[in-house]
Amino acid sequence: MSYQWLTLWGYVPEFIHAAWLTLEVTALAFALSVFLGLLAALATISPVAALRFIARGYVEIIRNTPVLLQIFIVFFGLPSAGISLDAYWAGVIALGLNVGAYLSEVFRAGIQSVPRGQLEAAAILGLEPSQIFAEVVLPQAARAVYPAIVNYLIQLLLGTSLLSAIALPELTGTATVINARTLLYIQTFAVTLIAYLVLSNALSWLAGRLGARIFHPPLIMGAPKRFAGWRLHRANRA
Amino acid sequence: MSIDLLRTSLSILLQGLVTTLLLSVAAIVGGTLIGLLAAVLRSFGPWGTAHVAKLYTELFRGTPVLITLMFIYFGVSYFGYAIDVFAAGAIGLSVYQGAYIAEVFRSGIESVPRGQWEVSQILGLTKAQTFSFVVLPQTGKIVLPPLIGQYLSLIKDTSIVSMIGMSELMHGGQAIVDRIGKPVEIYGLVALIYFVVCFPLSQWVRHHDRRRLV
Repeated sequence: MSYQWLTLWGYVPEFIHAAWLTLEVTALAFALSVFLGLLAALATISPVAALRFIARGYVEIIRNTPVLLQIFIVFFGLPSAGISLDAYWAGVIALGLNVGAYLSEVFRAGIQSVPRGQLEAAAILGLEPSQIFAEVVLPQAARAVYPAIVNYLIQLLLGTSLLSAIALPELTGTATVINARTLLYIQTFAVTLIAYLVLSNALSWLAGRLGARIFHPPLIMGAPKRFAGWRLHRANRA
Repeated sequence: MSIDLLRTSLSILLQGLVTTLLLSVAAIVGGTLIGLLAAVLRSFGPWGTAHVAKLYTELFRGTPVLITLMFIYFGVSYFGYAIDVFAAGAIGLSVYQGAYIAEVFRSGIESVPRGQWEVSQILGLTKAQTFSFVVLPQTGKIVLPPLIGQYLSLIKDTSIVSMIGMSELMHGGQAIVDRIGKPVEIYGLVALIYFVVCFPLSQWVRHHDRRRLV
C-alpha cells in the first residue's frame, strides 16, 4: 500500500502547481463575473427596454444551458468567429459569463431589497442618483447579498474542475494525467478530493472572517444551529 | 448548415436527449431519497447519525461533481469490477445532488415553528406521527420551489457525465463536432435543446420561489 503513496509523493509539486492554477482561474473568473453581474443587474432594472431585453436574454440563456456546453462554445466556437483563446482564458471567460448571470440575479434582489422609501428620502435630502446608489443602496445591498456571493464563489471554484475537458492542467486535469501515468486511481482522486475540500473550506472560512470585518455590525455567517425538535420532544416526555 | 445535415444531427441529438432525460429521472429519484434521508437524520437522528449526515453534506458540497463521478467510475474498475457508465452517472449524480437536496429539506423542516412540536407532544402524537402528519405536509410548500431549482441544476449537470464517456445529449454534440466540425452550429443546437427542456422549469421556479436570496 505505502509504495503507492510514495509514488504519488513525487507528484506533490504538480498538485501544488495545479492548485495554484485553480485558484488563479477562480479569482480571474470571479472578478469578471462580479463585473458582468453588476452590469446585468443594473441593466435589468434600467428604464431602457433594450437594455432590459439584452440582460434578460443573457441571464436566461446562461441559466438554462449547462456550463460545460458554455465552456465548449467559448473554446471551440469562438475561433470560428475569429477569436482564438487558449484554455486558460477560454475557461476564465466561460466561467465568468456563467457565474455572472447567477450573480446578476443575486445583485438585483439585493438592490431591490432596499426599501423604496429610503430612495425617496435620499432624493428629498438632495443626494444625486449616483450618490444614492453608492452611499444608500450599495452598503445595504452588499450586506444582504454577501453570503450568496460567497456561495457562488465556492461553486465557481468547484466549477473550474470542468476546465479539464479543454485540457487545462488545473487540479482535476492534473489528476487525470497522473492517473493515466500511475494508474493509482483511488489514491490520486483521494488527494484531489482533499485538495478541493481544503481549498473550498479555506475560501469560505476566509470569506467569513472578511464578512465579520468589513460589515458593521459584523456579519456572522455559518450554518444555523442544529434543529432542536427532536431533543425538545425527548425533554418534554421526560 | 444544410437541411440534410440538420436532420441527421437532430436525430442523433434527440437520441442523446432521451438518455439525458432517463439519467435525470434516475438521479432525481435517487437524489431526493438520499436527500430526505440525510435531512431527517441530521435534524432528528440520534447523535452519531446526525454527524454522519452533516459530514456527508459538507463533503459533497465542498467537492466538484466531476470528481465524484470519476471516483465512482474509475474507482470501481480499480478494484477489478466493471460498472455501467449509466449506473455510475446515476449513482454519482444522486449522491452529489442528494447533499444539496438535503439542505433544501433541512431548511424546510426548520421553518416549521418549534411550538408545533410542543403542541403535538401535548396532544399525544409520537415523534414519527408529528413528523409525518404535522411537519412534512407544511414542508412541502416551502421546499418545492428550491427543490425544483435543484432538479434543474441536476438536469444540467448530467452533461458532465459525458466526461466519463456516457453518450447523452452533450456527448452526441461532441461526436458530431469531432466528425464534421461546425462547432457553433452544433453546440448552438445542443444549447437550444437544453434550453427548451430547462426554460419552463426555471420560469416556474422564478415565479414560485419567494426567497431568491438564499
